[in-house]
Amino acid sequence: MYIDRLERYWIYAVAGTLGVFSAALLASVFIFGVTLPSPVGRVDPMQLDSTEFATPGLRSMGDNQYTLHVVAKMWQFDLGQAKGKPAEIHIPKGAEVTFVVTSKDVTHGFYIEHHDMNMMLLPGQIAREKATFKKPGTYHIICHEYCGSGHQNMIATIIVDA
Amino acid sequence: MQVASPLPQRQPSSLAFPKLAMLMEERTLVGAHVLTGMLALLLGSLMGPFQTFRRSPFVKEAFPDLQIPFFSFYYQALTIHGVMNALFFTTFFIVGFTYFITQRSLERPLWNRTLAWVSYAMMFVGLALVLFAIGSGQASVLYTFYPSLVAHPTFYIGLVLLVVGSWLVGANVFMTYAAWRKEHPGERVPLAVFAAIANFIMWIVATFGVAVEVLFMLLPLSLGWLKTTDPQMGRVLFWFFGHPLVYFWLIPAYISWYTMLPKQVGSKLFSDGLARVAFLMLVIFSVPVGVHHLFSDPGVSSVMKGIHTVFTFVVAVPSFLTAFNIGATLERAGRQRGARRALDWLWHQDFGNPVVAAQLAGMILFIAGGFSGIIQASLTLNIALHNTSWVPGHFHMTLAGAVTLTYIGIAYWIVPLIRNRALWSKKVALAQIYTWLVGMLIFGHGMGAAGIAGVPRRTDLSNAPYVNPDAAFFLNTSAISGVILLISLVLLLVNLVGTLFFSKEPVTEGAPVDTVGPAGSPLWLERWGLWVGIILVLAAVAWLPVVADALGTFASPGYTPFVPNPLK
Ligand code: HEM
Ligand SMILES: [Cu+2]
Ligand SMILES: [Cu+2]
Repeated sequence: MYIDRLERYWIYAVAGTLGVFSAALLASVFIFGVTLPSPVGRVDPMQLDSTEFATPGLRSMGDNQYTLHVVAKMWQFDLGQAKGKPAEIHIPKGAEVTFVVTSKDVTHGFYIEHHDMNMMLLPGQIAREKATFKKPGTYHIICHEYCGSGHQNMIATIIVDA
Repeated sequence: MQVASPLPQRQPSSLAFPKLAMLMEERTLVGAHVLTGMLALLLGSLMGPFQTFRRSPFVKEAFPDLQIPFFSFYYQALTIHGVMNALFFTTFFIVGFTYFITQRSLERPLWNRTLAWVSYAMMFVGLALVLFAIGSGQASVLYTFYPSLVAHPTFYIGLVLLVVGSWLVGANVFMTYAAWRKEHPGERVPLAVFAAIANFIMWIVATFGVAVEVLFMLLPLSLGWLKTTDPQMGRVLFWFFGHPLVYFWLIPAYISWYTMLPKQVGSKLFSDGLARVAFLMLVIFSVPVGVHHLFSDPGVSSVMKGIHTVFTFVVAVPSFLTAFNIGATLERAGRQRGARRALDWLWHQDFGNPVVAAQLAGMILFIAGGFSGIIQASLTLNIALHNTSWVPGHFHMTLAGAVTLTYIGIAYWIVPLIRNRALWSKKVALAQIYTWLVGMLIFGHGMGAAGIAGVPRRTDLSNAPYVNPDAAFFLNTSAISGVILLISLVLLLVNLVGTLFFSKEPVTEGAPVDTVGPAGSPLWLERWGLWVGIILVLAAVAWLPVVADALGTFASPGYTPFVPNPLK
């Protein structure tokens, strides 16, 4: 098949650019350690009470490290807050938090504003990711997947104390 | 100087198939599909501007009680918007356009006209059932209908009818081609039909995923035959289908750019061979990329996410080939219109002809949207953007921009042919096109910037307890684009109604359709069995591990969008 000379150069240029993109991607994963949610375990959404999700909330693991168990349900994040209290937790500056999250009912999302934390929450699947909060301030956890009529209310707050 | 062509040229049998006046049967069949599609577009898109209003902090303050027409529930309107635009408008329009080019290019009627009407009836009943389900408030599950939300059975039955109807369309097109091939051994099929066949092959492979999801998971759950479902498997099956779906929309637009635009601007396609390669690459590599919609899913392994990302870069190649090929074709046209200096040809184009202008405006949006697509496909950047309003920002420049504007450009010549009357007003058409272009640019920018600031998509912000204040400005500019786009929609409606009922002038322009393929392009490109084989192998390699990973998840019962308790 006849291919024009200029067109051939264009093809090389495109292939080169996409090669660079792929390399940048590998670098971000292997050098900068960006991670994605990946399979870490499963849990029966109908039996959460007999699992680690029976008592959601913050647990200190020492050395300014924490795990936060969260159960997403229509239409709130359960961070272990008392009934009728806002979904809100305080953590100290510099805390490294491992989020361990699942859904009790339908598909939800777990997105932390101004922080690269973005997970889908599916009933049956456990999602786990780490984040470090260096700057004091208020961070919103937002459900970013449509989960029914109260979806827009599904917001929780992390307050990083100074 | 005349050069003898290497193969004897076949004479187009123009008497049997007149160029300007379409046969009555052809007009009704193509017309039914195209006009049903345009109706779905108008109905679905009408919600769009009101969605932008409901997302704007300014509007919330100024008009706190603003509702979306026909609906008080945001997600019901958004379901109509997504389902009508993304599923019904596109499918009906593509089928009508495909029937048109197949019959015209091959200069023969469809293999089976009765079958064509049967499939139309199925798709139309599908449309009616889905409208009933959503309209009655029993299917506010959005156009992705992720389990374990459950809709009324009529919603799923309607979708099944749409998909099965479209399979019959594919069969009809393949058989028409096979009959032509028998009578024309050794000839190259015209590029438009080549691409249309490739498109329907891809579509049939891809819809298999969603058909399994709907028939074996969702419909039985909704009927109460099954008590539980698996949301991760649902998402895997949906996105097996979901990415080829976007190429199913794009390929007809490319058909117009590759095979019709050159004639509409008085130029010639730069390279037919590479055009065919581009179409084949689109079709082959559209399947092993769908996991890029599942980057944030906990049930899919990182290895598969990486593999699908690399293929996503590969599937960008044909679009770059297209950019060169169409660019070179337009340069030739621009030079003929008097462009001298290097880049002069960019503005020496026929911006005053609605059919051309719609496609050029679509391309401008496609360049902006395509780059945003490559950005979000990079899995690590995707973490920042997944499910934010960046994503609708992206696909309103590609789908609602490039694809829809090109279809509208096609409508501006095909509706006159169907009606046998000239377009009602060229001026109104131009105003419609340029308002759409400007509107979508502002919209795409506003939604993109709001997404970077962290605003989620698919969210009724007017009722949300918190909206990121940094994003207020961009949500407000999106609402301005909503006003501009609403005007554009009205102009489109007026021109279609005008052309159908009030236009008095006769049609003067025929359809720019090739009836012979170029002798130079290699015949092996038409070895369809080989391509189908490659698609299936790639599909298996890229998806079986993902499916296997999702297998055996705990079962989850169904829920309606309104009650936080499982369905009984
Ligand atoms: C005419 C002007 C249009 C406007 C102002 C508009 C506006 C919008 C807005 C604001 C959203 C996001 C809503 C949200 O995430 O909460 C949206 C979603 C969407 N739009 Fe449009 N749109 C328009 C036309 C179109 C067209 C022509 C198409 C396709 C052919 C389209 C396809 C979609 C799809 C598929 C979604 C996603 C729905 C979902 O997330 O479930 N839109 N549109
Ligand atoms: Cu939610
Ligand atoms: Cu939600």
